[in-house]
Amino acid sequence: MRKGENGRSKSGSHYRKWIFLRRFSQMVFLILFFVLFLKTDYNGTDHLDAAVNLLFRLDPFVAACVMLGVKSFIILLLPALAVLLLTAIFGRGFCGWFCPMGTLLDLTSKITPAKDRKNHTYYPNLPLIILVFALFASACGFAIAGFVDPFSLLVRGMAQAFYPLLNRLTVGFFTFTYQELPAVVNQVTEPVYGVLQAFILPSGQKYFHLATLSLLMLVAIFLLEGLQRRFFCRNICPLGALLGTIGRKALVTGKGGNSECGACRLCCSKCRMGAIDAERKIAMANCNLCFECMQKCPRQIIDFAVVAPWSTNSSTSLSRRHFVGAALVGVLLPSVKGVEMLAKNPDPTLIRPPGARAEKEFLARCVRCAECIQVCLGNALQPAFLQVGFDGMFSPVIAARSGYCEFNCTLCGQVCPTGAIRELTLSEKHRLKIGHAWFDKNICLPYAKGVPCMVCEEHCPTPDKAIRFKEIEVINHVGVTVRVQQPYIVDELCIGCGICENKCPLPGKAAVYITSAGEDRHPNAFLPSAGETPYGG
Amino acid sequence: MNRRQFVRDVLLWSAGLSLGVPCFEGAGISAASAPPQLGVASGKDYRLLVAKAVEAIGGIKAFVKNGDKVVIKPNMGWDRTPELGANTHPLVVRAIAELALDAGAAVVQVFDHTCNEKRRCYASSGIIDELEKIGDKRIHWEHIDPRKFVPVDIANGKSLKRWEIYQDALTADCYINVPIAKHHGLSRLSLGLKNVMGVLGGNRGQLHQNLGQDLADLATVIRPRLTVIDATRMLLRNGPQGGRVEDVKVADMVIAGADPVAVDAYATTLFGLQPEAIDSTVAAYKMGLGEIDVQRMQVLTVQV
Repeated sequence: MRKGENGRSKSGSHYRKWIFLRRFSQMVFLILFFVLFLKTDYNGTDHLDAAVNLLFRLDPFVAACVMLGVKSFIILLLPALAVLLLTAIFGRGFCGWFCPMGTLLDLTSKITPAKDRKNHTYYPNLPLIILVFALFASACGFAIAGFVDPFSLLVRGMAQAFYPLLNRLTVGFFTFTYQELPAVVNQVTEPVYGVLQAFILPSGQKYFHLATLSLLMLVAIFLLEGLQRRFFCRNICPLGALLGTIGRKALVTGKGGNSECGACRLCCSKCRMGAIDAERKIAMANCNLCFECMQKCPRQIIDFAVVAPWSTNSSTSLSRRHFVGAALVGVLLPSVKGVEMLAKNPDPTLIRPPGARAEKEFLARCVRCAECIQVCLGNALQPAFLQVGFDGMFSPVIAARSGYCEFNCTLCGQVCPTGAIRELTLSEKHRLKIGHAWFDKNICLPYAKGVPCMVCEEHCPTPDKAIRFKEIEVINHVGVTVRVQQPYIVDELCIGCGICENKCPLPGKAAVYITSAGEDRHPNAFLPSAGETPYGG
Repeated sequence: MNRRQFVRDVLLWSAGLSLGVPCFEGAGISAASAPPQLGVASGKDYRLLVAKAVEAIGGIKAFVKNGDKVVIKPNMGWDRTPELGANTHPLVVRAIAELALDAGAAVVQVFDHTCNEKRRCYASSGIIDELEKIGDKRIHWEHIDPRKFVPVDIANGKSLKRWEIYQDALTADCYINVPIAKHHGLSRLSLGLKNVMGVLGGNRGQLHQNLGQDLADLATVIRPRLTVIDATRMLLRNGPQGGRVEDVKVADMVIAGADPVAVDAYATTLFGLQPEAIDSTVAAYKMGLGEIDVQRMQVLTVQV
């Protein structure tokens, strides 16, 4: 690579080494990405042993948006700085050598080769516009990063759609073999199933709101690859735009063709990033150092070398008009939140994960990466749709009928890359109130029908039970006088974990449900009280 | 022959070869002959307690035959550590597993359909760690496999006519029930009959609306050859999952018996209650599933 000034290659095949290395690096990091994804799970102890959230902490776009949003430095996101430094040296090598989304897109393009011969990037300015918009919007309280960040899109699509779907299909297949096929077949299939369960599949089937949407957003990105290679990277990715802005003055710079090339523009038409123009000049703001041009060039004259940054002549591609426009929209759009209904009446059923910051800061920090949703043991965390506002879409909420918050588990706080969910100690977790349970006496069996039940009390995890019962004499639903235990909530003890709502045996709507009333993260949240008498009791 | 037919139906149903829901008639339930024997061992060495209690009622070979497929069903349904008295003590489970292996069991399965997250329960209970220490390949501790729930018609059920039951619990040659003695808000105590919850599928919460009779009905289908109640620690309050050491009484006792009703009845007295206070014990007694009167039991106590 760094061969200096004379341009022409000596060996004629020195690019092979670099292309091999690049592919090797892509594969290693892709595998690492998958391993970390699978490791985003309970490991048999209370603490995860790997920094499974590393990908997001390496992401300077996420870091910039979040830090602008909360207006302070977040130490968790320090690794992103290292990426910026590397970018100053190697340009967008991150996109070509590391990014798992990029690698997956490269693999996709092998299956669906792009038709476009001209290879003009459709919207070359769009990534920068999105970047500027996202930074200003984040600073003004509208956290948009998670909608466009490549890793958020990727992990979310995997966690909320691909992975549970993979499990469903696999289990479906092995249920068929187990229940319908003879023992001879099962002697082969069951061990295979065992291995898959041990190493690949999740421990149980999860279900998600927005599974389809998460899937479609990701699939769309892969389908666009049929239009143009690295379509997402060239036309949308704000992370790439950020890296390009720094990388355009990188030390490693490509030396393209010259006037002697004549009519040949092979490099230009083959470049997956559209980084080479008709003059065969390589724009380092776009080049991701894949080195394919070195290989494709018939004269083998394309090369990369270390060049002093001040000698590179590279300008920004975003016009002042575009910049100002994107910035203004970013500044003004968040104000519409002030007239959303939610500004007046927040959703009372909004339960955030334990350790979540106060709502405003939580939303500013959350990058919708779905790490917490992926790690959540009981399928309690669900991506929100519109109940927390448009910009809250995909942020994690507890849906107790889907799953409850496990009493002794602190995993979501451990995997959150931005500290939107604090890491709690177990004793903190045991006492932290994330919501409050209420009985619907119109349908709760002991109240409504005089029928015994008490499943909620049985499951209530606080050592001093927050659900208790009184035994009273009632006339039951068939008119017989019986003694029955009727449950009630002890306000000071209920932490809002939602296991009562989850386990309530009533079909459909539960007779006990949690709301955010009295949650600890909002100091002025309080429970209504009628003096000395605990309501319900 | 009845049981054999039933087991065959269960296997056929799981293999998709039959659409007929297996039905258990439960013949020969009432056999009011000799008084039931209970082995009650007290002492600090929990593994030895189990061995002595079982020895008192004829030894493990009276229950586990050479080559048997054995299922051990402890209570490990809660994400709680052993000292909190919510799950069966790991040493008690280990001791029974070792006895079964010594008796020549071909395979010893250990599982529970947990209430909290399954992996957390298995880990926190400490049971898996102890089983791993035995280091015998015949021990299969496993998580519940949802494919293995089979709907079963309960022919003699008074309240419950059909429920989904775990296939391996139905087809085992020898099913050993190893509950822990503990408090329970609704049924007052959770003992042997209540421990059946861990082999059930479906919406288990619905059973709580007529819990005593439902458990007795299930006891006509799930028939342990041996029940070993772990009363090494007794959870006295805030059951069935507890969470405070103050609520646990260290009783250092193990009760073994073949009569599922008798062991429950005897264990109830340890809490200072009459056996009649527990609905499931009464219902099962009335159905002729076993003895409720402690006076009519042959209690063989062993001090270790």
